[in-house]
Amino acid sequence: MPQGDYIELHRKRNGYRLDHFERKRKKEAREVHKRSEIAQKALGIKGKMFAKKRYAEKALMKKTLAMHEESSSRRKVLSNTIKQKRKEKAGKWEVPLPKVRPVAEDEMFKVIRSGKRRTKQWKRMVTKATFVGPGFTRKPPKYERFIRPSGLRFTKAHVTHPELKCTFNLEIIGVKKNPNGPMYTSLGVITKGTIIEVNVSELGLVTPAGKVVWGKYAQVTNNPENDGCINAVLLV
Amino acid sequence: MVQYNFKKITVVPNGKDIVDIILSRTQQTPTVVHKGYSITRLRQFYMRKVKYTQQNFFEKLSTIIDEFPRLDDIHPFYGDLLHVLYNKDHYKLKLGQINTARNLISKIAKDYVKLLKYGDSLYRCKSLEVAALGRMCTVVKRIGPSLAYLEQIRQHMARLPSVDPNTRTILICWYPNVGKSSFMNKITRADVDVQPYAFTTKSLFVGHTDYKYLRYQVIDTPGILDRPFEDHNIIEMCSITALAHLRSAVLFFLDISGSCGYSIAQQAALFHSIKSLFMNKPLIIVCNKTDLQPLDGISEEDKKLVMEMKAEAMKTVMGQGGEVGDDEGVLLTMSTLNEEGVAAVKNAACDRLLNQRVELKMKTKKINDCLNRFHVAIPKPRDQKERPPCIPQAVLEAKAKQAAEKERRKTEKDLEDENGGAGVYSASLKKNYILANEEWKDDVMPEILDGHNVYDFVDPDILLRLEELEREEGLREEEEEDDDFEMDGKELTPEEKEALAEIRKKKSLLIQQHRIKKRTAESRPSVSRKFDKDKKFTTKRMGRQLSSLGLDPSMAIDRARSKSRGRKRERSVDGGDKDNGDAMDMDMDQPNKKLRLRSMSRPLSRSRSRPPSEVAPGEGFKHSAQKVKAIKLGKKSAKKRNKDARRGEADRVIPTLKPKHLFSGKRSIGKTDRR
Repeated sequence: MPQGDYIELHRKRNGYRLDHFERKRKKEAREVHKRSEIAQKALGIKGKMFAKKRYAEKALMKKTLAMHEESSSRRKVLSNTIKQKRKEKAGKWEVPLPKVRPVAEDEMFKVIRSGKRRTKQWKRMVTKATFVGPGFTRKPPKYERFIRPSGLRFTKAHVTHPELKCTFNLEIIGVKKNPNGPMYTSLGVITKGTIIEVNVSELGLVTPAGKVVWGKYAQVTNNPENDGCINAVLLV
Repeated sequence: MVQYNFKKITVVPNGKDIVDIILSRTQQTPTVVHKGYSITRLRQFYMRKVKYTQQNFFEKLSTIIDEFPRLDDIHPFYGDLLHVLYNKDHYKLKLGQINTARNLISKIAKDYVKLLKYGDSLYRCKSLEVAALGRMCTVVKRIGPSLAYLEQIRQHMARLPSVDPNTRTILICWYPNVGKSSFMNKITRADVDVQPYAFTTKSLFVGHTDYKYLRYQVIDTPGILDRPFEDHNIIEMCSITALAHLRSAVLFFLDISGSCGYSIAQQAALFHSIKSLFMNKPLIIVCNKTDLQPLDGISEEDKKLVMEMKAEAMKTVMGQGGEVGDDEGVLLTMSTLNEEGVAAVKNAACDRLLNQRVELKMKTKKINDCLNRFHVAIPKPRDQKERPPCIPQAVLEAKAKQAAEKERRKTEKDLEDENGGAGVYSASLKKNYILANEEWKDDVMPEILDGHNVYDFVDPDILLRLEELEREEGLREEEEEDDDFEMDGKELTPEEKEALAEIRKKKSLLIQQHRIKKRTAESRPSVSRKFDKDKKFTTKRMGRQLSSLGLDPSMAIDRARSKSRGRKRERSVDGGDKDNGDAMDMDMDQPNKKLRLRSMSRPLSRSRSRPPSEVAPGEGFKHSAQKVKAIKLGKKSAKKRNKDARRGEADRVIPTLKPKHLFSGKRSIGKTDRR
């Protein structure tokens, strides 16, 4: 025992209190009641956080209990087969998000006034996330009709592989199709439901012919302007 | 002489706790924001939250990184010790992870603040802020295991014995179970565990001892086994580290009797294998456990081995330029059980160490600065006469007597030992009582007497008190006898009795009045004179009081009356008082008389109201025209100007419907969208 372990040293020399073990046992037994008292009395944000933690524990407990039962495994197998059958019935080009909320033009663009008296209103600034290619140079500011601010330009996306269930941070190669219109596709605007092409050389996929696959399509699943990042699902 | 204080490192909270603390701190920033606020205000609000959270994380992680010691910057002894205990690479890696986390959090905050500048709605700004905070918290959660590891290290480091690597140190090392810890217990106050099995000591122990007014650090190490260098386990590496880095005197404990389980041959082998570690260190070989087997009684080969070791040790002595013939300082014998030779070993070790350190110091350049500063003055003897210290004879005798007494006097402990030891003999505490009568020493004091607790009545001064009481009682009895006659001395005469009665009556009256007054003042609100309902304050009363005092009240009454009454009232009262029939006749005289009366009776009591143009004597105007003009001017200046150019109250005319300065012209700054 090292020189600094005073507690253990004292215990070794003088032993425990006479009622130490009984007190310990009783204290642990009281824990349950204390926790329930806190759960009932805590108010406000503290109460909510505590309730959340407790719920998580409860869910975990239930899961472990259920795992010990045998009937659950059979249920899971059944549901999985049904899901698989449904998938096969569907078409080949099914996308994860078939329908997307339409985005209006005034939501997409912000009018920028120009001119000496600020009366001309032909310039527009894009308010959503955009992708511009690596060789992109702006038109001269006087003639530029659509402004894509550099703060809203993204180069990478978090792409999830639907079967492996893991997420990779992959580079975007280009915007393939924006469901809101061809104009947005040509501008490179990325909104929810846009199909983008990503560089998958990291994954090491190979075609049956033996060629290395380095680009695949993915569909965006979140609102990038609200979250600050592009989350997408790979289309296999 | 830096003392490394690892206890000062702040507690490292685990990942979840950090997140909780900082998020709840972020809630302290202003929380209320509405959709209708201007967009810049909304953006600023959320940007502030993101920045604040980032700063807090930065601070917290920075404190952790700064407070943990860098293994390269501290003394190599500690560096190696920590490496041995915690693995340097692992330690550095964990700290590096925390550093990267810190940088990642800064980057996240920067990116999101940039994005927030484009937020155009409350919802968008809010979701960006939520995303930013969430990402920062994920980063911290990911380094959770590193934080847990660092917390454990911190707890262990705080319990390390504080060894000062630069001061005088004595190191005790050798095979396990040779008696190092018992020696340590004997010379210092460190209570090290001593057990018959090997490897009782599992880490370094530090104790301190004094010698010649200097403090020495004694370090007890766990045992080292004779193995190749790389095969040593962590515990042994601790002692090897200590050996390697601390500049100290090394005491090798040789177990002569072999009761530790290793023969002398093995011990000698160990010596030769690690002799590289103690270059330039004063070595002393101590043969322990001589009570089991004295040094001379060992076999020849063992003796040879011992001599070999001694020769090696001598080499180190010579290497320092020490004396050649210093045989005794190198090989010593002792037994910790009998305590013989323990002090000798300690003294020898301390001496050697001190000499070595002093020599080293003398060799450095800095010593010249020190030497310049002090100078030992030795007075030159002026003649050959001897002058020993002068001690008076009485002191010498007293000293001798004291010494003799000390030898002769029997202490209580000796008595106890004689009569059977601690459990058998109980000392008689009453032996030395000082009492009036010697026979009372063994008396048993009663505790309860007549149903009372004796100790309640016991008092050290009780006899004195009793005497005092008796004295007082004696005096009082005398006094009582004196006081008995003087009561029926004088009788009062009837006039005096009357006067006494009157005085008493008046006194009681006054008291009653005063009481009423008092009651009125505090409990009831007092009414002012103006609303005197009871008509207590009348002139008649005043007149009565004044006449009772013996004064003539008429003048006073008149004066008072003239003050309080108005002109009209007086006239009517006067008219009423006078005879009504004679009113006509008296008309000629009355007005004059009245006027005179009035003027005489109210000389300066009331200022007369005069017409405005009449100049009062003290005003400073020449004549009334001047005064009138002054009044007019004053009124004119206080009049409000008619800036609206209105001819009256109902006039609503607008002089210019289209003032030019509002309807024409360009602006120097700004826009003219609307006029």
